[in-house]
Amino acid sequence: MQLVRNFHPTKTMSWGRVMLSTVKIYMLMQTNCFTKTLKIMNYNLLRKILQMSKHTFYGICLQMVLVGMLMASESEAQRQSLDNIYISVDIDNLTLEDALLLLSDETDFNFSYNDHRVNEKKIVSARVKNKSMTVLLKKMSKAYDLKFKRINENIYVSKREKSGADVEEEFTGFFQELAITGKITSSEDNEGLPGVNVIVKGTSQGTITDVEGNYSIEVPGEETVLVFSFVGFLKEEVTVGNQTIIDFVLTPDLTALDEIVVVGYSSRKKSTITGAVSIVDVESVKKNRIPNVAQALQGQIAGVQVTSSTGAPGDPVQIRIRGEGTIGNNNPLYIVDGIPSRDITFLNPADIKSMTVLKDAAAAAIYGSRASGGVVLITTLSGVKGKTSFGVDYFTGIHSVSDLPDMLNADQYMKTLEKAWNNTFTGANPYTADMGRSDFSDTNWLDELFETGKSHNLQISASGGNDKVQFLTSLSYYGLDGIVVNDNDKYQRLTYRTNINIDISDRFRIGTNLQLSHSTQDKIASKGESLIRFALLRAPVLSVFKDVSDPTYSERDPFTDMPFFTPTGYDQGLQRTMYEMVGNPIAQAFFTDDVRKIYTTFGNVYAEYSFLKDKSLKFRTNLGIDLSFFHNKAFNENYGDDDGGGSAIDQGLGRRNRPNNLNESYGQALTTTFNNTLNYVKTINDRHSLNLLVGTEYISNFESSIGASRARYSVTTPEFRYLDNGGSDLDVWNSGTASEWGLFSYFSSASYVLDSKYLVTGNFRADASSRFSESNRWGYFPSISAGWIVSEESFLSDVDWLTNLKLRASWGKLGNQEIDNYTYLTLISQVNEVVKVDRYGNPDLKWETSTQSNIGADFGLFNNKLGISVEYFNILTSDILLPISLPSVVGNVQPTILNAGEVRNKGFEFTLNYRNSENDFKYSINANLATLTNNVEKLHPNLPNISGNVTRTEVGHPLNAYYGYSVIGIYQNQAEIDSHLSGTPGNNVQPGDIKFNDINGDGIISADQDRDFIGSPIPDLTYGISGLASYKKFDFSILFQGVGGVERYNDGKKIVDYDTRPFNYTTAIFGAWDGEGSSNTRPRVTFADNGSSKISSIFAEDASYFRLKNIEFGYTIESFKGIGIRLYVSGQNLFTVTNYTGLDPETTDLLDKGTYPGSKAYLLGINVNF
Amino acid sequence: MKNIYNIIIVMFVFTTLISCVDQLTKEPIGLLTIDQIDASPTVTTIESSVLSSYDPLKSTLNSIVPGWRWDLGTVFRNDIVLQDMASNDMDKKWNPDGDQPWMDEIVEFTFTSENQAFNGIWVYDYEGISRVNLAIGFLEDDQVVSDSGLDPERRKQLLAEAYFLRAFYYFDLVNNFGDVPLVLSPPESFEEAFSVSVRAPVDEVWAQINTDLTDAKATASNDKYPDVSEPWRVSKGAIIALQAKVALFNEEWSLVLSLITELDGLGNYSLNADYFDSFDANIKFTDNEVIFAYDHRSNETPNNVNGLRSPVGWGFFAPTADFVAAFEPNDPRLLFTTTADPGNKFSPKIVGSTDWIDFGNKIYIRYADVLLWKAEALLETADLPGAIAIINQIRNRARTSATIDGSAIPPGTLPDRGSSTNASEVKDWLVSERRVELGFEAQRFNDLKRWGTAKSVLTALGRNYQDHNNLYPIPQLDIDKSGGSITQNPGY
Repeated sequence: MQLVRNFHPTKTMSWGRVMLSTVKIYMLMQTNCFTKTLKIMNYNLLRKILQMSKHTFYGICLQMVLVGMLMASESEAQRQSLDNIYISVDIDNLTLEDALLLLSDETDFNFSYNDHRVNEKKIVSARVKNKSMTVLLKKMSKAYDLKFKRINENIYVSKREKSGADVEEEFTGFFQELAITGKITSSEDNEGLPGVNVIVKGTSQGTITDVEGNYSIEVPGEETVLVFSFVGFLKEEVTVGNQTIIDFVLTPDLTALDEIVVVGYSSRKKSTITGAVSIVDVESVKKNRIPNVAQALQGQIAGVQVTSSTGAPGDPVQIRIRGEGTIGNNNPLYIVDGIPSRDITFLNPADIKSMTVLKDAAAAAIYGSRASGGVVLITTLSGVKGKTSFGVDYFTGIHSVSDLPDMLNADQYMKTLEKAWNNTFTGANPYTADMGRSDFSDTNWLDELFETGKSHNLQISASGGNDKVQFLTSLSYYGLDGIVVNDNDKYQRLTYRTNINIDISDRFRIGTNLQLSHSTQDKIASKGESLIRFALLRAPVLSVFKDVSDPTYSERDPFTDMPFFTPTGYDQGLQRTMYEMVGNPIAQAFFTDDVRKIYTTFGNVYAEYSFLKDKSLKFRTNLGIDLSFFHNKAFNENYGDDDGGGSAIDQGLGRRNRPNNLNESYGQALTTTFNNTLNYVKTINDRHSLNLLVGTEYISNFESSIGASRARYSVTTPEFRYLDNGGSDLDVWNSGTASEWGLFSYFSSASYVLDSKYLVTGNFRADASSRFSESNRWGYFPSISAGWIVSEESFLSDVDWLTNLKLRASWGKLGNQEIDNYTYLTLISQVNEVVKVDRYGNPDLKWETSTQSNIGADFGLFNNKLGISVEYFNILTSDILLPISLPSVVGNVQPTILNAGEVRNKGFEFTLNYRNSENDFKYSINANLATLTNNVEKLHPNLPNISGNVTRTEVGHPLNAYYGYSVIGIYQNQAEIDSHLSGTPGNNVQPGDIKFNDINGDGIISADQDRDFIGSPIPDLTYGISGLASYKKFDFSILFQGVGGVERYNDGKKIVDYDTRPFNYTTAIFGAWDGEGSSNTRPRVTFADNGSSKISSIFAEDASYFRLKNIEFGYTIESFKGIGIRLYVSGQNLFTVTNYTGLDPETTDLLDKGTYPGSKAYLLGINVNF
Repeated sequence: MKNIYNIIIVMFVFTTLISCVDQLTKEPIGLLTIDQIDASPTVTTIESSVLSSYDPLKSTLNSIVPGWRWDLGTVFRNDIVLQDMASNDMDKKWNPDGDQPWMDEIVEFTFTSENQAFNGIWVYDYEGISRVNLAIGFLEDDQVVSDSGLDPERRKQLLAEAYFLRAFYYFDLVNNFGDVPLVLSPPESFEEAFSVSVRAPVDEVWAQINTDLTDAKATASNDKYPDVSEPWRVSKGAIIALQAKVALFNEEWSLVLSLITELDGLGNYSLNADYFDSFDANIKFTDNEVIFAYDHRSNETPNNVNGLRSPVGWGFFAPTADFVAAFEPNDPRLLFTTTADPGNKFSPKIVGSTDWIDFGNKIYIRYADVLLWKAEALLETADLPGAIAIINQIRNRARTSATIDGSAIPPGTLPDRGSSTNASEVKDWLVSERRVELGFEAQRFNDLKRWGTAKSVLTALGRNYQDHNNLYPIPQLDIDKSGGSITQNPGY
């Protein structure tokens, strides 16, 4: 006892603190070393929580162990009941931790707690004078909701339970037969874990490990099962058997701890969330080496479809959360560090700390009027206190095109055209005459067009700080030179970012984030009438370059242009039309100079102040700006052959870009956001948790741009591509526009949790927008959701395999205001002196509303090794902001926007996580799958359908469904034509032409009777599978992603395989109909219409695909002198399984006319951290 | 207490934010509201409202609906498709192919109401009408006119132009579609746009055309070019000629004759010596024959060049064999109308030049056409010698014209028609003379309908012409847009 008394509590604590900070530094170093462990969702945050509780335990356990060791000699003899141990103590506003240390100092007992619900920082007071320990403990139990259980010299502290005594005592016997010793280590770092409970299963007999993680225990026999448990780690059991040394490795239980999830203006514990919220595994995503943050969501989250509009560097990425809800804007709202943004291309993916997707109204209603497309919350990395750490990451890659179609060579092409002529005309066949001409080339235009692209990425970052100030700063460069020749397809981005947080006091915190970004896109025609389309079409008999003897050859423009152009005149003879005139894509790639630059300044400053004694009320104000400038500059250089055209002044110039011209524009957009929130978070009596939030937000936007253009540049070198150097007499244009809008909102949110089991959350937001007239300005967006953590119920406490089960349901409304400004007013335009009504306004215009319901269940099985989530959602978008075209009898005016139309999206989402580790081999798998049914339920009476080129939106069908004729075969003979087209005498249809379904059977194939829906561009199914694994110093990640049940209109296929103009074909043309019975799927080759000109089901191809998006292997070199080095290789898009015959099934265009395909890439990279 | 202050500060921040709501009323940037326009129309506003009313007449590509909307049939004014292709004169292209199959449907008469040709002409004509209505609204309002300071004489001329143009567009609509919505002033709201979308009976439309032309004539001057610097503006001659054409289409033969006499009384028009002079870009507005044309000019803003050169270059607008055969041997008019040579796909009349360099005007009314109306009216009023004399006048001009390649016309080409007392024989002469004289000028299908020969002529060529094709279908798109308040013609 004497010794114990000398061991002063305050000394213990300071000793503990030394220990704590040592450990912290150690941990920090680990955190910075990417490869140390398997990283899963929101890892850093988790880690911090884990670390904190672990540190506390280190401290407490250290103390206990020391006390325990010191007391060891006497303790066994002392077997007095708590009732008989008298004590005088005055605990005055100490933390529970300190109070227990004091008590252990004053008595012979070791206190420990193995219940994470016990808050060791809680301030406690208790005063007894010469009372029994029982009295004291009961007093504390009542006051602080604690339970004390004494086993021999140990008193275990846990949360008070409704049943059972508050203070229990138990003495275990002295009849142990086997002495077991061992060491418990953490799988994270293979270091010993102090403070682990080692319990004989079925008893309360046990011990705890010492500071090195060692323990010794005596057990009754070989059949004894030992249970190792430590907060934050998975509980493990082992049967003793004949072992006397049992070492064990514990694995962190990363889901057991509550992740803190940012859900909009505030944070919630993941376990209390009741809406459909998905958290992106940012660490895993970073291994995909994506250039655009939006791509981070691809394949990661059920119900989120991410599509690159094309594979061209810098082209946009489209995100759809739970389908397409409206005819207008379906883009999600991005919130970056609390500031809304409609575009996130300025972000560097490596700067992202967390990404959360709010998928249903319960989660997103707090963002009200702009949230109907879903909300993606992004927080960027910030500094943590500790030693300043530096990181350098560099990778470089090579990119190449894959899966190109086999085009015909010159010989095959000529033979095909010869046949087409014979199938169409009589008389001398000009192709037969041309066969084998000496000036013919044999060009594979696709091979000529594509080259190997290169990418580079460099990121340098530094972060650190002390208790008061933490900072992070990073600089990064990304550059990609795409896969088309001549290097005019490039994207470069430079980002700089600084984040500073300052704790002015323990109540007052301010901080700022600043991002500067500069991106440059060298743009080529990447879709529609693209270079790729031209390369598919252009005749292989044409060469890339002219012969130098050609009189039209010039050094500046050595490219071939019109087929076998003769300088004697325009369109003399058949030559031009014999080999269909398509521009030379190599020349176009060479002459394209179209650069878009964007300069973005994005940032915010915030201040947080905590009120009340327990800091439960927090005020936060956040002011953000999103300021971007763009500069577009396109110089359209004159090239190509002179076709004799052009106005008098331009005679003699090449037909392309005649006259040459420069088009330049500058623009700016400033969006300012100011939001203020009051957040009250309080737990009452440990049973009632409240989280209340109220706030306001004001957003204003102003955009303007100016543009100018001149033509007829006599010198076209880059140094002269400025406005002043162009002709000043003719074609001198300038323009300027501006627009502005504003949004003001009130919002509130309330969550209530009872007994950590019953959860309910309500949100309400009111928005006023300048886009609507004063009488319809306000929109109101409520949501309510509830959850039940069934696994917390006592009737499930015996079900061992079910660790967690939560049921959730939600309902709510969201809005959409994404229409042009001023649409409620009737406006007159005066352009080029033409005065006319631009658009009739609709003063009754109001918000589009999306009513959403969601039910979900989250399962955690086998100690949360396996997690499964299932969701069902049903979203009805109503009052859709529908542009109604007025009858043309009032002239050609812009459509008036009306609230009309309803679209329903519903579907299921499944997510599965599995993680496991076998000694050094650790792995995790994440799989997700979502179904979607999209259906238009209502349109406006004046708009029975909305027709696009190949699509139609109509009630009872998905949005933008493909609409056209159904192909039922190929006419094999005249008799078949005569009977099928009995109502169409005098038709020009020939055997070998496409046979369309005559739906009404009238013998006429007519547009209004015989067309039907032939496919949907909205996938029924989206899915992704990702995996992470590590073994010792090796690590591995993989991502597969795919969609199913989707069609895409492949206009490229039409033009290369079915067209009746002399374009090039793929080798599939060899399967064309050539006499009765030869084919029932491919029409004859001909120069007359074989039916391919009709929009038909042949071209609405199945565009389902399954793609290996990414695979990465990494190796960590043993760190020396605190420097961690990791090397990695990555592969992207290594293979794709699809039936789609276009270049890339992944494209956002409804009509694929030849889209720049995604490239296959191999990357090599290195991370250095110190 | 400190907390209370804090809370007060927070409340203050919140309440000051409420004033942000006042910031939400944004005035449109760069667009005028109706009030702003009505308050202060200037002379420029009024002038440009009339000027822009001419636009739907031009052949400039994408001038009314931008963006290559082949799907809407609005890339160029479709009258050439609906008149020349629909008749037996013109094929879509020199070689059949799958390009623009909607034109093939017109050729074959297999179209439906969704065929964009109908939408194209409908949109062009009604866009013209809506622009004219805005102009007439300004010009008829004394207050607006006096506030703007518009010269009263100028007002008269502009009114004459506006009334003529409205009549012109309705004339095109009533011939193509029969009953059509009669919109005579700009709707005030989008609801009103729907309420005016109801078809008016043809009689009402004809009556409105006559009223507008009468009003136009009342304020027009007698000059051939009322504004010499802008010779393309509507003249009194054009107004009278259109009145005569209206009378012709309504078979009011004596009215036709009296109106042509009135036209001749102006002394402004006669046949050109050379057939091609009416079309030749190099001598436009210096000839004697053109009465009303759209003036295509290069290097203007907005672009209003003759865009039909492009489709000609792409191989559109090929002659049918039947059309080529309709020309008598060595008739020089053939090669100005079409090269009739698949190796040289060209039409000097459409392009307005004999090469690809200059681009001519779009001719709507020329004196040769007027003379042939007169011949038809004489024929119908039993003046056969009068009719034959005019036909011979036309033939004489043709055979004395220069040929496209400068070659001499062999003697005996296009001999005068002899005298005849057989009215149907003279009618045949008239019919074939109109066909070759006015080929590719967007006249033919209307002529076939007027003569009641469309069915026999077209079915003989294997075209699927039915009786109900006498009127084209109302474009389905506009029926849909009106929510069905615009009804369809029978048979579609």
